[in-house]
Amino acid sequence: MKQTAAEPRPPLSSLALILAVVFLFVVASAGLSQSSKPVPEKSPPVTFARDIAPLVFRSCSSCHHAGEAGPFPLVTYGDVKSHARQIADVTRKRLMPPWLPSAEGLRFAEDTHLSEQDIALFQKWVDVGMPEGNPSETPPAPKFTSGWQLGKPDLVLHAETPFTIPVSGSDVYWNFIFRSPVNSSRFVKAIEIHPGDKRLVHHANLLVDRTQSARRQEKSPGSGFAGMELQLESESFDPDGHFLFWKPGSPPIVEPPGFALRLDPDNDLVLNAHLQPSGKPESVQPTIGIYFTDQSATSFPVLLQIENDRALDIPAGEKNFIVSDEFTLPESVHLLALYPHAHYLCREMRALARFPDRTEKTLIHIPRWDLNWQAVFRLAQPESLPRGTTIVMRYRYDNSDDNVANPNHPPQRVTAGNRAVDEMAHLWLQVLPEVQPTQERDPRMVLQERLARHHIENNPADFEAHYNLAAMLQARGALEESVQQYQAALDLRPGDATVENALGAALLSLGKIPQAVKHLYAAIAARPEYFDARYNLGIALANAGEFARAAQEFAEATRLKPEDSGAEANLGAALAELGENQKAIAHFLRALQLDPQNKLARENLDALQKTP
Amino acid sequence: MFHAKPARLPFSMLYCALFVGVVLGAVGLPANSRSGQPAPAEDLDGKPADPFALSGRRVIVLLFVRTDCPISNRYAPLLQKLSEKFRGKADFWLVYPDREQTASQIRAHLKDFHYSIPALRDTRHALVKRAQATITPEAAVFDPAGRPVYHGRIDNWYADFGRSRPAPTTHELDDAISAALGGKTVTPDHANPIGCYISDLK
Repeated sequence: MKQTAAEPRPPLSSLALILAVVFLFVVASAGLSQSSKPVPEKSPPVTFARDIAPLVFRSCSSCHHAGEAGPFPLVTYGDVKSHARQIADVTRKRLMPPWLPSAEGLRFAEDTHLSEQDIALFQKWVDVGMPEGNPSETPPAPKFTSGWQLGKPDLVLHAETPFTIPVSGSDVYWNFIFRSPVNSSRFVKAIEIHPGDKRLVHHANLLVDRTQSARRQEKSPGSGFAGMELQLESESFDPDGHFLFWKPGSPPIVEPPGFALRLDPDNDLVLNAHLQPSGKPESVQPTIGIYFTDQSATSFPVLLQIENDRALDIPAGEKNFIVSDEFTLPESVHLLALYPHAHYLCREMRALARFPDRTEKTLIHIPRWDLNWQAVFRLAQPESLPRGTTIVMRYRYDNSDDNVANPNHPPQRVTAGNRAVDEMAHLWLQVLPEVQPTQERDPRMVLQERLARHHIENNPADFEAHYNLAAMLQARGALEESVQQYQAALDLRPGDATVENALGAALLSLGKIPQAVKHLYAAIAARPEYFDARYNLGIALANAGEFARAAQEFAEATRLKPEDSGAEANLGAALAELGENQKAIAHFLRALQLDPQNKLARENLDALQKTP
Repeated sequence: MFHAKPARLPFSMLYCALFVGVVLGAVGLPANSRSGQPAPAEDLDGKPADPFALSGRRVIVLLFVRTDCPISNRYAPLLQKLSEKFRGKADFWLVYPDREQTASQIRAHLKDFHYSIPALRDTRHALVKRAQATITPEAAVFDPAGRPVYHGRIDNWYADFGRSRPAPTTHELDDAISAALGGKTVTPDHANPIGCYISDLK
């Protein structure tokens, strides 16, 4: 109606007034006529029924329906008409649907992007007055089921404590721990994440915590904890090869046969959620549904993290800061999915594959990065990347005030880190090695070892890379180099309990007992409730012939984990060495009760019982 | 939707005349040109209400909001805070321009978002026109003489749909109210708001 607020005309004539009245009357009656008069014979060029509904149903309704993340429904003609100009505007600006990759890269599943022609249709529809057209031409609206999309889960887990989101302010990141959901090893084919009110949760990442290491970050058990990025520990080479990612509108993923995820007793699941204040008090309490399968895993994908965080040192005001990395694959793989990740300063992302014959192919190009719409992009078809292919990552950052997402005003120098005000330059690839792992050779290990060495070349101060490389070397028996790498990790974080324990264990394997004892004591000094370190120290002390002290450590270990048969058996063995046979027998029996297959307890018990 | 209410039909002529009157007001004719006309809006009890008559000669702030506009909702804590900051100096009114949103829905909205600012339903968009509002959330500030001195965004928190700053770096509404209270010229007198189009409601 703004157009009627014409230029002021002081000598307002009665004619002008009449014209205005007539004009407005026509507008009003046109509005009224739509419901009462039959559709004109000549159909308008663009109608909801014929042209707009199919686009909306394909690209909008999955989020924009009741109970979903979209703030208003877009399912019926009325829904769409009452947001028509807004839709035309946000589609023209490519803000909606929120699809980050350009058409330059690979084709992805769940691609919701609109073509230029689709976008033009929305504009045209608004221009011609948003006619409904012939309702019988409207395709059937998509059917949405509420509740579990994959049917009733085999196991439903609820976050112990809800998290209260502040009414205002910037986005918040919260981690919920689901404690040891299974009590025997199971294979999982799907996990459906219900993050809570979907209008409040921008995205969520679920991680398997094999050593309950996230629990140490909680103030009290079950409280959850803040933090944008999560770092978890794993005690063996057991790379998690799956993205467990939730974003609005995405259906839960059922892993193809053979791709199941193993979940062991004592494993925790940690949900890292990105939440946005709504303006009123809100709380979220996520629920997850787990679907088991009897089929064990036969295909072992692996997640490779290409990154160059060390190169992130962006001067305040810098508009065009480039971070790149190149990694050459030592194994032939099939690329299954990509997860590019950076924080608020990143503006553009590109990743490409340079094949051994030097030809290049864009894997993904994100012309306008927006952290709020980050996602795992699953390829529509796996892409074969032969051994010798180089993955090239190239990200562009804008640390000026032109970047509205800049967390600092005025801009500040920004370096890498886990907080929202820090930056990141990560590209995760989910790949399936062409050859299956065998006892002798695991291609995942080859990939991860090469990657860890690459990270160390990029950044000699990369703690995780030194630690992971050491752990892999230790696993494949390269103990001398493993000790060097643990030592390098320890130099970066002196006194770190996890590293002290691992280094102690590696030295123990090398037979360097006094050095092992020293590092294991350091691990316990840093974390007295550390079962693994107590256990390893017991072994080291027993090896040194110090059975009394060994028995003390094993006793402490059984207190920390009363169901561990190994600790019980070793305690028995140490007591037997001390001549305390009756006590020893009790512990061997207890060990066998916990695990009838415990060889150490069985042999020792047999030997003791034969002793007169 | 508008056309779903045929009961309005007999009043269409009166409706048009009112439109013209408001348009004239908006182009700068004396404020008293509205005297004798029906109140532009209604309160939540359905009674006619004119914030300009009710507030008298004070600075008036109209805040155009919707119950279902997420950007408008995310501003609720700030709008409430601003109304408290200027309590006793400037009169704040929440204006709901969506004809579809009932008084009881609006009451629930006020409660959910902890608003204590009085609310009006602007079903005929008389206040929308007077304020030249196009978006929710949008603010309009009038000086004690009822003259419009500012309309537009509250601040620059949002740069576009789904693209917000961590915190706003300009505060147009706060500045405009302060200037109006101090009798100073408000600059700028308009800044483009981001949010849901009021024109989509017609």
